[in-house]
Amino acid sequence: MYKKLMLPFLMILLLVFATACSDDKSSDSSGKDGKEGKSDAEQTLKIANDQEPAGLDPHKTPAHSSVRIYSKIYEGLVTFDENMELVGQLASDWEQPDDKTYVFNLVEGVKFHNGREMTADDVKYSFERIMDEKTASHISSYFADIKSIEVMDDNTIKFELEEPNATFLTNLTNSSAAVVAKEVVEENEDLQQVAVGTGPFVFEKWVPDNSVTLIKNKDYHVKDTPKLDRLEYYTMKEEAARLSAIRTGEIDMTTLTSKSAGLLEKDDNVEIKDYQSLEYSYVGFNTENKPFNDEKVRQALSLATDRESIAKVVWDGKAIITGPITPAMGDWAIDVKDEELYMRNIEEAKKLLADAGYPDGFSTTITTASTYADMVDTAQLLQQQWAEIGVKAEIKQIEWGEYIDTWSNKTADILIGRNGSGTDPDRAMNYFFSTEGSANVWNFSDKDYDKLVEEGKRTIDQDERKEIYDKAQKELLELSPNLFLVSPESYVAVRKDVKGYTPRAHNAEDIDQTYKE
Amino acid sequence: MLIPVLFGVSLFIFFVMRVVPGDVAQTILGTDATPASLKQLRENFGLDLPLYQQYLNWMGGVLTGDFGESMRTGKAVLPDILNRFKLTFELTLIAAVISWIISIPLGIIAATKRNSKTDFSLRVVSLLGVSVPTFALATVLILILSLFFSYSPPVGYVGFFENPIKNLEIIILPAIVLGTSMAGAVMRMTRSSILEILRQDFIRTIRAKGAKEKVVIFQHALKNAMIPILTIIGLQIGTLLGGTVIIEQIFSLPGLGQLVLTAITQRDFVVVQGAVLFIAFIFVMINLLVDVLYSYLDPRISYK
Repeated sequence: MYKKLMLPFLMILLLVFATACSDDKSSDSSGKDGKEGKSDAEQTLKIANDQEPAGLDPHKTPAHSSVRIYSKIYEGLVTFDENMELVGQLASDWEQPDDKTYVFNLVEGVKFHNGREMTADDVKYSFERIMDEKTASHISSYFADIKSIEVMDDNTIKFELEEPNATFLTNLTNSSAAVVAKEVVEENEDLQQVAVGTGPFVFEKWVPDNSVTLIKNKDYHVKDTPKLDRLEYYTMKEEAARLSAIRTGEIDMTTLTSKSAGLLEKDDNVEIKDYQSLEYSYVGFNTENKPFNDEKVRQALSLATDRESIAKVVWDGKAIITGPITPAMGDWAIDVKDEELYMRNIEEAKKLLADAGYPDGFSTTITTASTYADMVDTAQLLQQQWAEIGVKAEIKQIEWGEYIDTWSNKTADILIGRNGSGTDPDRAMNYFFSTEGSANVWNFSDKDYDKLVEEGKRTIDQDERKEIYDKAQKELLELSPNLFLVSPESYVAVRKDVKGYTPRAHNAEDIDQTYKE
Repeated sequence: MLIPVLFGVSLFIFFVMRVVPGDVAQTILGTDATPASLKQLRENFGLDLPLYQQYLNWMGGVLTGDFGESMRTGKAVLPDILNRFKLTFELTLIAAVISWIISIPLGIIAATKRNSKTDFSLRVVSLLGVSVPTFALATVLILILSLFFSYSPPVGYVGFFENPIKNLEIIILPAIVLGTSMAGAVMRMTRSSILEILRQDFIRTIRAKGAKEKVVIFQHALKNAMIPILTIIGLQIGTLLGGTVIIEQIFSLPGLGQLVLTAITQRDFVVVQGAVLFIAFIFVMINLLVDVLYSYLDPRISYK
């Protein structure tokens, strides 16, 4: 008997469900009106991101999807202003008694989001946590030069370095060099799920694979900042979904590729903001493997590469040709337009190949990540361009996790990728290309070059430093362990009613002064 | 059956995850990591232990209901899976209902009007349903709605019990997409299965007795035709409950599929293992349910 009743009962239940769904469709317009009315009273900014944050611990998480969120919650000692000049953040000012010592005076009365006052002890604790091996922090190498940290009083702290280091202050601007509260770390073991900082926004909740919500820090130590009451980040991996959501106003802001930026240009309610990014695309060679151990081969490939057509085809013309330091770094970058190796010259390339012992070219494999369309497109263009000098390249597309593995284990001959050139030339030069550089996955080693970049790191005088890096860049282009291709523009689509927002290469999501009309 | 299947799956996924190239520590720490911090992180995760020991540790936990903690977020895995499963379950259920509402009546109509124009056009439509991939349908739907109707589903997922109306507004579009694509197969199966039954002797007898066509179809033919239909539905539901990766991604839904996908790309072994084991369990349970329903539909089938 029960058995017989079961099926009809189930059917009725499902039908009720279905009716509920169809009812709901008619009510969505009223639901929406209510929502918009609310956002007028309360300033809420909704940002859609293409990746889910990988955790919130600033000392342990380098993923950009995390940084853009925790950089609103935490602060460091110093930061960059809009002109990329160093300014204090938690430090009101600082002095350098000698080349190896930095004394920071902290802003007084700064409170953590849990209400406790932040002191020099917290700064000391935070840097010790970064440097502690057990933390396994990704930025421990940034501060490997620190000899001692001394708390002089509640609001003064002294850092002593082993050697003079011109990158120390710029490394402090990194969002991961954040000041955290000891008791919160101890209570939660780590900070991946909780976040208690001193920044303009307070962490409210994280719904995995969906959203992170931050609310305004009413006790923020900078006056009248921030203007927004709520900041909601949504993970929307599908670009079509982000496009449709910004068109209809479901979200207020999102990053875009150059191709979709074109699609939104005609929309009256959306404004496209662009800026020159700090990223560049590259071709990396394993300089220990034949034939790439011969610099003539690498130079020949540089001569066979048409960078302009890469900018045109892969980035719709919205990219500029670059050396190892991108033009967005201002004066630090050298002008590469007139570099001999950047002028396409098939004859010369063939000659170089013949000199190296490959008069008929050779066969090779280009490895790239299928995750990023621009990398695959770049690989395909290079395949065509290099064919003209007899280099027959096969393209191997791999998934991102495997790509990172290939990268770090140096198992590819040629790798196509994108790097960030950082905010200090030391990163672009030392970190990727010095013999001991932790991201030198090219087996590249040149004593003169090493000397130059080490000197650059230890030279405090800016003009002298620039001269050194100019020289180092020229040398790197000549040796070509990587072929530096182009630096793309980045795009942010913003609803027209969002005001006070200007993206910049070193701080693309500076929304401290942003508000909605 | 349950135990050996789950044991096999657990062994399989555990070793597959270890064979797949890619290192969780490197994926987490990125390009700035030093060898020392990478080593430390691997130790923290117990990845330095011998494989058999890692497997035993994991299985020991699973048997006591502890699926471990995510390497990425440090969150307990099982509660997270169950939480995600709620959404996936709801989505599957609504999609299935939509698919039945469309497919079974249309399948019956096509069967009773065999070789007519109606039958022919319904068959074309069902073929479309089977062959248009869900991601294409979903993307086109999103584009049409936003371009011509200025509508896009609300962002920010809420559970059914928190805010049922908003929840359904979020779920309905993906459910329609999944439902229509499921409907094609079910409709074809309904049609052919009913046609086959209608050719049988007992139907002729019933018709000879003067029963109305309605009675013939609904009381006699449909119930007997349900077994193959149910098999297809069971398989479809089992697959959907395993997470509708693409649809969840396109509609930004935090379901089981997204959990697995993110975990795989980040090489979060613990989450992948736990989720795959859970999905296998659900699949086995759905098959069990389908078997039980068989014996309800056809009392001659019994399980002893």
